[in-house]
Amino acid sequence: MKNEWKGLLDEAFYAPEPERKRAFLKGLRPREIGMAEMLLTQVRYIGLSVWIVAGLILVLAILGSAMHADRTEEWIPVIIPFLAGVSVLETRKSGRCRMTELEMVTRFSLRSVLFARMTILGILCLLLLCVSAPIVAAAFGGRTVITAMHILIPYLVTTSISLAVERSAWGRKLEYASLAVAALISVLMIWMQSYDPAMVQRYADIIENWGLLIVLFLTAVTVWEQVRTIHFAEVPA
Amino acid sequence: MDLENAYDKIYRYVYFRIKDRATAEDITQEAFLRLISQKGDLHGYDIRYLYVIARNLCIDEYRRAKPDALPEDYEETAGGEEEALADRLAVREAVAELPPEDQELLLLRHVNGESMGTISNTLGISRFALYRRLKGAEAKLRRSLEGDKDEK
Amino acid sequence: MKLTVDRLSKQYKNKIAVDRVSFTLSEGVTGLLGANGAGKTTLMRMMTGILDPTGGEISADGVPVHTEQYRAILGYLPQDFGYYPEFTAREFVRYIAALKGLDKKHAKRKTEELLELVGLSDVADKKIKTFSGGMKQRVGIAQAIVNDPRILILDEPTAGLDPKERVRFRNLIAEIGKDTIVLFSTHIVSDIDSIAKSLLMMRDGQIIYDGAWSKEQGDLEQFYMEEFA
Repeated sequence: MKNEWKGLLDEAFYAPEPERKRAFLKGLRPREIGMAEMLLTQVRYIGLSVWIVAGLILVLAILGSAMHADRTEEWIPVIIPFLAGVSVLETRKSGRCRMTELEMVTRFSLRSVLFARMTILGILCLLLLCVSAPIVAAAFGGRTVITAMHILIPYLVTTSISLAVERSAWGRKLEYASLAVAALISVLMIWMQSYDPAMVQRYADIIENWGLLIVLFLTAVTVWEQVRTIHFAEVPA
Repeated sequence: MDLENAYDKIYRYVYFRIKDRATAEDITQEAFLRLISQKGDLHGYDIRYLYVIARNLCIDEYRRAKPDALPEDYEETAGGEEEALADRLAVREAVAELPPEDQELLLLRHVNGESMGTISNTLGISRFALYRRLKGAEAKLRRSLEGDKDEK
Repeated sequence: MKLTVDRLSKQYKNKIAVDRVSFTLSEGVTGLLGANGAGKTTLMRMMTGILDPTGGEISADGVPVHTEQYRAILGYLPQDFGYYPEFTAREFVRYIAALKGLDKKHAKRKTEELLELVGLSDVADKKIKTFSGGMKQRVGIAQAIVNDPRILILDEPTAGLDPKERVRFRNLIAEIGKDTIVLFSTHIVSDIDSIAKSLLMMRDGQIIYDGAWSKEQGDLEQFYMEEFA
């Protein structure tokens, strides 16, 4: 049956030649993902070290609170600088692993990658804070906001200093500068807590009264450092 | 899906309905672009997806051009300049006498060579209904052509 | 497509690396020949947008180099590149594919296709740190073309490859060059002879030859020696 009609009807359904076929098909490209999707894909490339430190802090917060372990409140601010340290390292791993050039020539260039990493790590920190601060505060009779600030302040200080250091000349030579900064801040926290009870009280008072302003200020500084890091990344050698 | 072949087929189909070269190409290209934005890329997708999109775009085009027209109205087969210049073959006349729905079936089946599955999918009718309508269209056409022969 | 380089310059404090270079490339393979230090890498890095020129412009059909649009159709294989530790060949290509904007399904399909093309399907799940130089180079090629680029820039891609790999590589590039603008730099003359349809020769930051090349035009080796010796 088909053969009866085959070819016969072509004339009846004549259509003038399309004019833009070649150009259109040549330029046809598959759908590309948007920024949001790209952000999501970057999550699985965040290194293990970040998850381990974050997990450690979470476990510490939960167990410590559950068992009412004495120094839980003090330990978290001591460990959190390391989360900041590995986060900054993670953000800047393109340079260490010599992937910078390959990432610069992709559609979502290096800047987007850095932005994505910073965003993901920032959200991670925030989540951690939202979970651990209330738990610890509840267990030890503090206020959630104050507890949160005690955790957030060393994190922000470590992050902003690490970012600045990693961009500096000597920071670029020292491979894990961020960790060094983290260790420094961590030691500083320990020293503050054990050296002089009066100092501990004074620090707590400052945070009570000025905590919010301090956090806002540190956040602004951190964001500034992050912006500079992103700009710095694309300045070619 | 062979892209160039698909473009030709879709374009021919759309031109049949729209009868304007520029608009037909626009709609053809729009169909491709919409499929990509829906599915990501064209690889592994059958032409029936393009037919469905193109058909809907044609219907939208009517609504846009003639707000009072019923969605299934077709452009009158008055023919573009090219067709007026071409020889008027008996087949052509015979086809032109058929209702547009039958013309559509014949185009899809015997010019574009689409499978019954693809056509039923495109038109949104069952294969059984499609089979009946196609056979009916072919019969009408055959009678029309034989009638012509008799006259000659 | 036309890739236009217009009076491009790169000047450092005490050296001019690229000196008012102009040329136009279209589909096909072009070889960039020159001694070390001639400015090839600097030129290529400017053509990929990694390096900012001190003068001049680069554009592809009018699209300037520093745009997302340009990068979307670009593929680049640098002379030396690293990888994130623990990355397998497959993960590496998928990672770059995502950065190039390919959606998940498309990225997956292209990755498999290209690993097959470069002959790394068998070792797709092996870590790159276990790879030989030639294998790593093949991963590099795969990531460079994963987005079906219309412009492919390769910096010394055959350096460090053994003869067999070099042949395989040349065949691959010749194939890609059929409908892509390919520019590859080398100081191995036989690379040019076998696959390039045109040739750019560079010395001291300047282009000293820009034109078609075929074996009939003489012994490239000799010409090279005369120019660079």
